[in-house]
Amino acid sequence: MTIKFPDIDYAAIAPLLIMFGVAALGVLVEAFVPKRARHLTQLVLALAGLVAALVVLVTQAETRVVTAGGAIAVDGPALFLQGSIIVLAIMAVLLIGERSLEKGGPFVAQAAITVGSEDDRRQAARADGATEVYPLATFAIFGMMLFVSANDLLTMFIALEVLSLPLYLMCALARRRRLVSQEAALKYFMLGAYASAFFLFGVALVYGFTASVQAAPGRMAGGVDFATIHAAATQSPANRALLFGGLAMIAIGLLFKAAAAPFHVWTPDVYQGAPTAVTGFMAACTKVAAFGALLRVLYVAFDGARWDFTPVLGAIAILTMLVGAVLSVTQTDLKRLLAYSSIANAGYLLVGVLAGVREGISSTMFYLVAYGFTVIAAFAVVTLVRDADGEATHLSRWAGLGRRSPVFAGVFTFILLAFAGIPLTSGFISKFAVFGAALDGGQTWLVIAGVITSMVLAFPYLRVVVMMWLSEPGESTPTIAVPGALTAAALVIGVAATLVLGVAPAPLLNLSDTAGQFIR
Amino acid sequence: MTNIALAATVTTGEAVTFWILAPLALLGAIGMVVARNAVHSALWLVLTMLCLGVFYVVQAGPFIGMVQIIVYTGAIMMLFLFVLMLVGRDASDSLIETLRGQRVAAVLVGLGFAGLVGTLVARAVGDTTAVGLEAANQNGNVQGIAALLFTNYVFAFEATSALLITAAVGAMVLAHIHKPKSERLGQPETMRLRFRPGNYPAPKPGPGVYATSDSVATPGRLPDGTLTQRSVPEILPTRELSPRETAPKGTEK
Amino acid sequence: MTGYLGSYATLGLLLVASVLIFVGAFTANRLLSPADPAEPAGKRATYESGVDPVGGDWAQMQIRYYVYAYLYVLFAVEAVFLFPWAVIFDRPGFGATTVVEMAIFVAVLALGILYAWRKKILDWT
Repeated sequence: MTIKFPDIDYAAIAPLLIMFGVAALGVLVEAFVPKRARHLTQLVLALAGLVAALVVLVTQAETRVVTAGGAIAVDGPALFLQGSIIVLAIMAVLLIGERSLEKGGPFVAQAAITVGSEDDRRQAARADGATEVYPLATFAIFGMMLFVSANDLLTMFIALEVLSLPLYLMCALARRRRLVSQEAALKYFMLGAYASAFFLFGVALVYGFTASVQAAPGRMAGGVDFATIHAAATQSPANRALLFGGLAMIAIGLLFKAAAAPFHVWTPDVYQGAPTAVTGFMAACTKVAAFGALLRVLYVAFDGARWDFTPVLGAIAILTMLVGAVLSVTQTDLKRLLAYSSIANAGYLLVGVLAGVREGISSTMFYLVAYGFTVIAAFAVVTLVRDADGEATHLSRWAGLGRRSPVFAGVFTFILLAFAGIPLTSGFISKFAVFGAALDGGQTWLVIAGVITSMVLAFPYLRVVVMMWLSEPGESTPTIAVPGALTAAALVIGVAATLVLGVAPAPLLNLSDTAGQFIR
Repeated sequence: MTNIALAATVTTGEAVTFWILAPLALLGAIGMVVARNAVHSALWLVLTMLCLGVFYVVQAGPFIGMVQIIVYTGAIMMLFLFVLMLVGRDASDSLIETLRGQRVAAVLVGLGFAGLVGTLVARAVGDTTAVGLEAANQNGNVQGIAALLFTNYVFAFEATSALLITAAVGAMVLAHIHKPKSERLGQPETMRLRFRPGNYPAPKPGPGVYATSDSVATPGRLPDGTLTQRSVPEILPTRELSPRETAPKGTEK
Repeated sequence: MTGYLGSYATLGLLLVASVLIFVGAFTANRLLSPADPAEPAGKRATYESGVDPVGGDWAQMQIRYYVYAYLYVLFAVEAVFLFPWAVIFDRPGFGATTVVEMAIFVAVLALGILYAWRKKILDWT
């Protein structure tokens, strides 16, 4: 029995290895660094790791290689999306690290202490938050980066789990409203595990479908790597029911993470219950990872079945846009409103994915980055509006904020206008890009639905704007906390990026266009 | 080891095993859903998993079969039982439907989905024969898995360690309460608490021992004849003897 | 008794035989023994060292047991990966690379034990 070890291009996967190493180091720090120095050490370690990974990634910008035995593809979209995940994760880590808004930071010190007990009140008042959040976040980032560059379904599944598990945990760690937070974590975990099971079942069916196809001479017949699936989808004589069934189930697993209807039901509860910094992390980075994987699966592996899946996924896209737009009108809590808006945005992203042309890939990638910057900035503002009980997220509480703090109300207005897709913001450019790509790809029906729902969706945003500026501040209007350096940095990056990508989007559009080519 | 190849065709032994165990597996699955008691549900699930483990062995996958039995029925089911003991064996499901007709809809949709997937798989693979089993198992089943695991899927394998350590750290974060040293009482503090005014330092009186009952929940009697609640542990309800218990036990015949 | 399933057939026969013996022994017991059981009150109560039992037989467990059970599951999963490694690592062609691969895997998991040890999760206080 002879075997051949695969060649691994270590330089190409160095960003992944760095994140993995940083996460492992983070666990070590938890174990050995004294408690007082832990938070700073973890924060610096996580940020330094992210920056190092980004630098290495930039040096690898020209790499186009399938490595590690066909398990990892380092190509344009993979590099672009990994880079976006890193940049957005830097902002999220800044929010996670903020400790000046609330003593001890936004995370609970000991999640195992019974909610409402004497110990719990004591730790809510003064104990420092758990620093395990940092290694968990880093593992999640590693999982996301692996997710967008996985080149076979098995690696993709492991990456899906590696990114999901830390997120479930981080959702449960809020300092305030701990029961809601734990409920959110449990809901996310249950439904997430269910969706993962669908994904795995789909992988099994697809593996069965590829049984008779040999991707390359010398390899065993059958397999779950994308080259084999592509070959099978275009030439296998087997019954295609297995292919469609498998693709449907894999898509369920991915669309769940992307929060597309009808797999979106977890989103509002989880976004509301999770600590706001984690919500921002999920809304930006998970979305990039999920759509990155979806792009790769649909464009690389199942390209041969395009005409079969486009109508189904198109229907899902329309349903997602409708559900997100219509239900966000009825929301009374800001975090839930942003959750439904994130669902609607998943619909617009699907329009880009389904365009079926190269512009579809690049416009979707551009949309992901632009949306990520804006949404993290939005959640950064949410962390600032506080009263004695922590964040005041009910919409009625935001009435009159414009009078009380014009600067922040102005910033938030700008963010909401970006969500609504008003020109001179990145939201307009990104919607324009995906709709344009979909028109090129002949998906006019999706574009029509997208434009109509965009108009509906503008209403809840404008309602918040009107509320902030045209109401008198009342007794219960919360104060706007002065952001600490970390939140301020994240906020400035997010708002500046939203503005710059709205005014001068050409460099990033060009970059995403050059990167928009998968390799198989 | 080359004998594994023979298993590619259905032999009598395989058929017999299947027809004995398949109904059992199905019975276990139905029992798990139907059983009212959560512990019974878990045990039904064990039955199903054991049957599946044997199926894997029969279908030329001895490694995965053994893993199924050791890890799933062994370790993971134990974890299930631990969770049940945490939550409470008697804790019954809340049967209030928050959405009307939810359960009926769930059953119908579930059956529909099962039917859909069943037909799909049956139609797709009903008349095909398995291929590649011989090639995959030619050097032995475990060796074949190892050869794939440590070559093409080595990155997935290493990423699994990230998954496992996340799970370990997560379990400890969510379930472990760390008491710092400053919160642990030393001997002097313990003594001061014990002798502070209002606390009775001596041991509590023992439970009442009577001809009709000697349980720990029966209050003891003080020398003056009054009952003392101090002899009953706080977590126990004070026991009132039923007439049936005070009646002679019938063991005297 | 030959072929792939032959070796398992022996095991199956053993199982069948043991089930038969078990069922046979109990049936014989049922048939042969005189049956006139008394049913005094309390006969089927849980035995609690001669003291009347109080409450149900279920007691809520502490969450700390769960952590141990969970760690056990993790290392059971690790053992699953060790099995295939153990049968091949000294074969020609595998060698040092496989050892290194497994060493990384085990080292990462060992971090979990280090963490548990430093957080005093392994102490029972």
